[in-house]
Amino acid sequence: MADSKKRTAHKLPEAGQWPDVLSPWVIVAGIILTTLGFLMAFFVVPPVSGATVNGAELVGDTVVSNKLLMSQKIFYFHMPVAITSFAALAFAAYYCVRFLITRELRFDTCARIAMEVALLFTVMTMITGEMWTRFEWGVWWTWDPRLTTYLILMLIVIAYIVLRNMVDDPIRRAAFASVVGVIAFIDVPICFMVTRLIPSSVHPVVTRAGGMTPEMGLCIALVGVGMMCVAFALYRARFRQVRFAERVDALKERLDD
Amino acid sequence: MSRTTDTPLKVERKHPSSFSQYKVLLTKDLLREVRTKEMLVSMGVYALLVIVVFGVALGFAAPGTDFLEVSGGLLWVMVVFTSLLGLNRSFSVEKECGCLEGLLLAPMDRGVIFLAKATSNLIFLLIVEVIAVPLFWLFFSSVALPAETAPLIALPLLVGSVGIAGVGTLLSTITTNVKGKDVMLALLFIPVVFPLLYACVAATVAVLVGGDVMAESFATPLALAALYDVVMILISWFLYDFVVS
Amino acid sequence: MPDAIRVEGVCKTFGTRKAVDDISFVLPEGAFLTIFGPNGAGKTTLLSMLSTLSRPSKGTIYICGIDAKEESESVRASIGVVSHSSMLYPDLTAEENLVLYGRLYGVPDVKNRAVNLLDAVGLKHRRLDQVRTFSRGMIQRVSIARALMNDPRVVLFDEPYSGLDPHATQVFDNLISDVRKDRTFVMVSHDLKKGMQLADHVLLMARGRAVCFGRKDKLEPDELNHLYEQTIGGGVA
Repeated sequence: MADSKKRTAHKLPEAGQWPDVLSPWVIVAGIILTTLGFLMAFFVVPPVSGATVNGAELVGDTVVSNKLLMSQKIFYFHMPVAITSFAALAFAAYYCVRFLITRELRFDTCARIAMEVALLFTVMTMITGEMWTRFEWGVWWTWDPRLTTYLILMLIVIAYIVLRNMVDDPIRRAAFASVVGVIAFIDVPICFMVTRLIPSSVHPVVTRAGGMTPEMGLCIALVGVGMMCVAFALYRARFRQVRFAERVDALKERLDD
Repeated sequence: MSRTTDTPLKVERKHPSSFSQYKVLLTKDLLREVRTKEMLVSMGVYALLVIVVFGVALGFAAPGTDFLEVSGGLLWVMVVFTSLLGLNRSFSVEKECGCLEGLLLAPMDRGVIFLAKATSNLIFLLIVEVIAVPLFWLFFSSVALPAETAPLIALPLLVGSVGIAGVGTLLSTITTNVKGKDVMLALLFIPVVFPLLYACVAATVAVLVGGDVMAESFATPLALAALYDVVMILISWFLYDFVVS
Repeated sequence: MPDAIRVEGVCKTFGTRKAVDDISFVLPEGAFLTIFGPNGAGKTTLLSMLSTLSRPSKGTIYICGIDAKEESESVRASIGVVSHSSMLYPDLTAEENLVLYGRLYGVPDVKNRAVNLLDAVGLKHRRLDQVRTFSRGMIQRVSIARALMNDPRVVLFDEPYSGLDPHATQVFDNLISDVRKDRTFVMVSHDLKKGMQLADHVLLMARGRAVCFGRKDKLEPDELNHLYEQTIGGGVA
């Protein structure tokens, strides 16, 4: 799947060619896989204890002692969505660099759409993540390195999209947006490193013991592939729409002449 | 009108070094500031006003050593917002009269323009810090006294300001060409500068609290902040060409 | 000796819009080209490509035989530009402004040259005053002096007459004829009368394309007037 996306990057077909023929099937596959994963998470995968609870502890409003937390199920969606958002961001950054090298506006269009898809998945990650934090750690928000970095990442993605709306000249807009995209791509890892390496009193470094059981792994893989398919189909659908709009504009220009 | 008929002489031009061009641009910024004082006055007054707001915010807190931990962060709140104000203005004149265009028409590397502007922004920011940080302590010395290591605060301030000026110059060049530039600069600047801010606050708090905290968490944050500076300034310098052309 | 300006098949597209569409011309050294055209004809875009501030999407521009895309720095060293904006720092004096730009270009004995040029534009007596105290016409004169600081081979003007009173226009005309020798000029203008007076080459643009290009003496004035009226759609001054 990611492979097919990569190939489109080099070919960049006009809207309406094979990736668009493929994308309805891809989205059906995505929906089926995600649904399967959903069912599996609830019916097949045995409940596991969430974050280690030593003795009795207040989680949410109830006292918990190593309870088999139902809320742990959100993890099967949180992680695949997060991975998908990273994939979309990586594509966006890749297209930003491509644009700066070639200065061809179609790469900027690709970067912008990838960034929009990334924003969608980033917001979903934040929402599922908040649910997770609330029920596993008992708070809505904590300045944990991962959460902090992710918040910064989301802010930069939002800034990227707002910036695009603030510039009228398409070439300028593309250059500015791509520069911001590249900076974000370098800034976010530094952000993670900094928040991770600097010891702090309020930032618990959460590490969980134990790996995943095969069922858990399979479930996450199913949802993961499903989410990737959904992201790809969304990307293509938007790409198609934007390309058609561009084509209409170009035709209008030609009619003017 | 005293128009003479002899036309200006032909000149033999020698291509100037990038360093001399850098000096010319930097001198120009400093000379303009000496004349107008607009950056220093507005930034200085703003910093003072932020301190006044802190005075209200802390007015109801009980005095204690906890203040030292908080004050490092407060100091950086002041620095970040003051620098935002300055960065916003730094390109407005260049833009108003088309001077940036004039500089771009001169035969020099775009990187020189970036470095000169970043340096002048850094100088203004440092001058404001030299005034505002002692003032901050003057106002809050009754709440808590910092540890003996406090003078070392100059280090995180310097490293932080270098990074702020570097990244900020690139971002403010972008936002001068954008609608609603004030908001846009803040929206881009604060997330991008977050890691630097985080590291600098950690180092500043360590310096102010002293003792074990100083030994434990001063060197690492400072090193990380310096790393951020190097990486981000290099990348900004490299990307500057794309922003101005 | 290479031609002063050689433009080969230059296009500039903004997204899907073609601002400049396949323009080609050759201008010999010492020529004065005026570019006419209605708003949005692509005159300013063409001028900004000549000044290396923007790159052509297609085609090549040679200034004094140097490729403007590949060696933009050496091209920039040999051109001077007067545009809508003055490019002068209002808080610096006229002399300081000229010295600043002269230093960036590496002009030797830069102070003397600045004074000489200010003398030539008739502003020697105001050279120590800040530019913010100048009138529109005076600013325009200083910005012409600024463009000449580096002794450019090619001078580009974008609507130099806009906002000038008759006196300033007179000064401008005198100045041009003074510095005309050996230099190549390109001027963008709305004003047919003024533009024709100075020009020896004419380029008429509409919708990004060249409607006609040629030496002024080889073009029929009536035909040109007619073409101009057609493309602009308004009266001719």
